[in-house]
Amino acid sequence: MSLEAIAAIIAGGLVSGSLYALMASGLSLVWGTVRMLNLAHGALVMVGAYSAWYFSNRGGLAKALQPIGKSIVENAEGSGALGGLLLPLGEWILSIRGGFGLVIGVPFAVLCCGLVGYIMYVLLVKPFVGKPGADLVVIITTLAGASFMQNGVQVIFGPRYKQLDRILKGPPLQVLETAIGLQEVLIIIMTPVALLLLHFFLKYSKHGLAIRAVAQNDDFAHLVGINVSQIYPLTFVVSSILAGLCGVMLGGLFFILPTMGAQELLFAFVVVVFGGLGSLPGTIIGAYVIGFIRETSAYVFSLYWAPVVLFATLILVLIFRPRGLMGGEES
Amino acid sequence: MLFQVEGLVSGYGKIDVVRSLSLHVDEGEHVGLFGPNGHGKTTLLRTVSGLIRAKAGKISFRGEDISNFDARAIVERGLIHVPQGNQLFPQMTVQENLTLGAYVRRTDSRKASNFEKVFALFPRLEERRSQQARTLSGGERQMLSIGVGLMGMPELLILDEPSVGLAPLIKEELARAIAEIASTGVTMIVVDQDVELLLGICERLYLIEKGAVSLETADVSQIDQAEILEMYFGKVS
Repeated sequence: MSLEAIAAIIAGGLVSGSLYALMASGLSLVWGTVRMLNLAHGALVMVGAYSAWYFSNRGGLAKALQPIGKSIVENAEGSGALGGLLLPLGEWILSIRGGFGLVIGVPFAVLCCGLVGYIMYVLLVKPFVGKPGADLVVIITTLAGASFMQNGVQVIFGPRYKQLDRILKGPPLQVLETAIGLQEVLIIIMTPVALLLLHFFLKYSKHGLAIRAVAQNDDFAHLVGINVSQIYPLTFVVSSILAGLCGVMLGGLFFILPTMGAQELLFAFVVVVFGGLGSLPGTIIGAYVIGFIRETSAYVFSLYWAPVVLFATLILVLIFRPRGLMGGEES
Repeated sequence: MLFQVEGLVSGYGKIDVVRSLSLHVDEGEHVGLFGPNGHGKTTLLRTVSGLIRAKAGKISFRGEDISNFDARAIVERGLIHVPQGNQLFPQMTVQENLTLGAYVRRTDSRKASNFEKVFALFPRLEERRSQQARTLSGGERQMLSIGVGLMGMPELLILDEPSVGLAPLIKEELARAIAEIASTGVTMIVVDQDVELLLGICERLYLIEKGAVSLETADVSQIDQAEILEMYFGKVS
């Protein structure tokens, strides 16, 4: 294997590992705390990408606002004081014809995903919490939710692929004779930052501590006065934000389409099981390990064999460590 | 009267474990509950702290009917239940467990001094404050459990079987600590199999059998220890 190939595998592994880590950590968080599998998690990645596109791109919200801006400007002249007030607003709307840009788009996408995650919890999960067989029911309801979101997005935005603007423009970086795109570099750097923020949230904030407390012992969590029924939706919101971030990054690499996120969800499940269900450090380490295995097998065999190698590794690991890489003992 | 239970019925599913139980605790009093296993002591406590629903009867705290309140609402009123079997957050440090003990807003302003109080009572917890709870010994876990309860600034502290499964020496240490908490004037209900431990702490005892109070002692200093053991085990001939 040449040095160039090794560098390409490392870069590719870091990128896929980052995307899996963002996605799987949310999945793992919900599993650990609410004890449910969220099959709409992949659709949230898609929602993140679409909302980032809608708020940033010239074809999204900015375009939808143009007729309003035009009519404000046209009607402003004849309508006195009120028109004078509205005129700058109309002119401003017309001036943003090129889109709001990603600086606005990404935060709005994150907000949007948090909101969708909350709505999803209220509609698809909350009615079943505490009922017998809830974990199975929720698999079905979230699957239904995913289907609803995918088709809803197709109806609203049409089947044509979208593309996010690049955040960093410029020639790719040359590392060890391999070209790494700036978008990839951004993903490699921003993911650990996001995961570090997640760590600080879970370790030092009151609500983060409460999420971990409910995950570890919900009975005792009740007894120290944690409102467990509020912690569940909070966990969904945090997890959805992580999925949204993953979507924003994915949208910068590939085309955005309604079915995106589905394959990532599958890999995220592999990562979560591989790393140990409910263990966040295990999930993150697992994500990068799986990322590297995928890239290596794609290089050595071919891209089509990568999933086969992945699942074979997973089965092998589970034979020797049934609870995954860092899954704790039965509690 | 600080705390009163009247005709309480509760249990799991269709099975009633607590069957019309009544008891009361006055301000500043330390009351012991004892009795055989499986007769409803823990179920009573779980109902009081809002973990399971009362089917009938009334639980009142400071004159307010708190039966079937949220567990959180009950903790906020200062009724703190330290559950049986050293329940903790196992993958969190001692410090984090104690921090969560002070989760309710009522305790915010006194957090630092509460930490000091707990560490003064259990110096071993301070030594191990950055250690994960699951790595502690059985005795230390029980100390931490009680410490978490104290962080919630109890007005009524309920300890469920604090001495269960502990070696005699550690049991003594724990009994001393509980007596010390009692001496600060906190009202307490202590449930334990070990009547001698209860006698060292409590002024009054209830014997609970078949989900109800079957005997209530007057002030324990007035009666003979042998008499109490007799209540428990029956007459020794």
